[in-house]
Amino acid sequence: MRIVVCYKNVPEELMIKVNADRTLDLSGADYKIGQYDLNAVEAAAGLAKEAGDSEIIALTVGADIVSNTKLQKAVLSRGTNRMIGVKDAALASPDVLTVAEIIKKAVEKIGGVDLVLFGEGSGDIYSQQTGTVTGALLGLPTINAVEKIELGEGTLRVSRSLEDGVEHLEVQLPAVISVTSDINIPRIPSMKDILGAGKKPCEIWSLDDLQADVASSTEIVSMLAPEAADRKKMIIEGDGDDEIEAFFQQIRKVL
Amino acid sequence: MNFAKTEEQELLLESLREVVRRYGSEEYMQECDEKGEFPQKLLDALYENGFYTLGVPEEYGGTPCDMLTLMMYHEELGRTCTGAYAIDVVALQMDDMISFGTKKQIQDCVDSLNKAGTALCLGFTEPQAGSDSSAITTSFRRENGKVIINGRKTFITRADRSDHMLCMTRDPNAEDPKKAFTCWWVPMDAPGITIKPIPKIGWHMVKSCEVTLDNVVVNEEDMVGEEGNGFKVVMKNFEVERLVMAAIACGEATMAFEMAASYANERVQFGKPIGSFQLIQEKLFTMKMKINNMQNAIYKTAWMKDQGLPINTDAALTKYYCAQASSEVINDAIQIFGGIGYSAEMRLGKLWANNRICGIGGGTQEIMIHVGGRALLKEYKNFQAL
Repeated sequence: MRIVVCYKNVPEELMIKVNADRTLDLSGADYKIGQYDLNAVEAAAGLAKEAGDSEIIALTVGADIVSNTKLQKAVLSRGTNRMIGVKDAALASPDVLTVAEIIKKAVEKIGGVDLVLFGEGSGDIYSQQTGTVTGALLGLPTINAVEKIELGEGTLRVSRSLEDGVEHLEVQLPAVISVTSDINIPRIPSMKDILGAGKKPCEIWSLDDLQADVASSTEIVSMLAPEAADRKKMIIEGDGDDEIEAFFQQIRKVL
Repeated sequence: MNFAKTEEQELLLESLREVVRRYGSEEYMQECDEKGEFPQKLLDALYENGFYTLGVPEEYGGTPCDMLTLMMYHEELGRTCTGAYAIDVVALQMDDMISFGTKKQIQDCVDSLNKAGTALCLGFTEPQAGSDSSAITTSFRRENGKVIINGRKTFITRADRSDHMLCMTRDPNAEDPKKAFTCWWVPMDAPGITIKPIPKIGWHMVKSCEVTLDNVVVNEEDMVGEEGNGFKVVMKNFEVERLVMAAIACGEATMAFEMAASYANERVQFGKPIGSFQLIQEKLFTMKMKINNMQNAIYKTAWMKDQGLPINTDAALTKYYCAQASSEVINDAIQIFGGIGYSAEMRLGKLWANNRICGIGGGTQEIMIHVGGRALLKEYKNFQAL
């Protein structure tokens, strides 16, 4: 079974600074694999182990960060066999359609792919669309919000929690699936996994290698941190019924 | 000179932080500390992820690593987990046994490790023999083809949960007192062994015990190493053990410093964060200076060991400094927290009590000076200044 699992390198949110004009300063932030993508990588590893004789290719799209060797080792220490990064300066903040087009072309170039896996959303923008759009472009059965996957004969049996129940589906391979963070708890790479990661193949492809271009369908007008609200600093002293009622009324106003 | 951690080291420490986050939470540590229980869940997780056997050769189920990485691991464990002291330093135990033990003794260790247990406890210290290790009186004699051991050990850490004790004994009839000491591989469930935990002011998650050996019978093949060369066995990794204690102490100090530095930004008195007062800034400044010094000393000494350079003096210097400096840093952290720093519910108090042993166990501060002082004199005997 050949699985392509897609992931994104995102800034560590605790290290993002907010400028006085509410714009974000990412310059001092370290990068990491998006937390929801780790669930997808773990799901791929689980399926590959069950299927036997499988290959997992970790695929990412971005600018310079794609070549970061520590992040490459990070994904290769989680049960994947090799890594492919599509890199271009114009891909620093690509929109969903751009990324999906590139992933589609990469999957076609890799060839013989049975399953493309995504997390529920990227760790930074979290639009929750890339997996679905990629599946539509590939013209393959496309399912999101998957919290359980079982291997069938040339199929996968998946479960999705919906508002009013759990849906069970059997999907023909090849398919494109986005998993939720409920599907598993990502492994903690051991020293053996980490040392082994450095020996696994990494390839960097350019947009020319895929004959793809950066065609944005959206434009980011602004990205600002929420306005800081001043604390009201209202203090109600005492534990009598009147004070509790006053406290309750204040809470009720803002809920 | 490259001071950066390698990518592998960074990833390893990230993994370790995740293990601690999931299985060594402060809540669980508090529970184990209060009940005096060993943090088995943490040990199980460290074993599953290969950390417990870091530094053990691959053929014995471990992951080989260099000394520098091993120290970073212990330091980070000390920084992130108040139960760090409870975890055995398996790499050193295994190295002692691989160097001197028989195949059976080594297999005993591997069997213990494979169930995330404790391979051995060091049966060295006695009531009358602490720093003066040659004053041990636990004796062995031969009788009817067996070996009989009698004596009393004290402060034997993890005696209650170890499968074997690497027991240092004396032949009372040895002609040459320097050749009187022999080590034996004593099963802790042998008849005649009694184990009694000693109540301590810290290190509550592990038991340090009095171990009485009353006509304990072992076999000739239970000898570890050569007869008369017992000191060689137990001293082989003493220097590295000192470095590990220094690394954990440094980690503990870093934990205390980070808490204090964060608190100094938040705690408001007299209308300002207390971090704006110079006396608090001075404390934070000197705490950080000490942490930098501790790290530099530990990393450099570990590097020297990796290069095959002798570390007798540097290990003593490093342990001495780290025992002292870490204690000062934790003390200053409590001071910065003020009254709440004295609360039993805060981790600082436990750090303070747990850290205190660093200047005693593994060689006292006084012995470190004794080791280093003599060595330095010898080194500079024929020194010619420029």
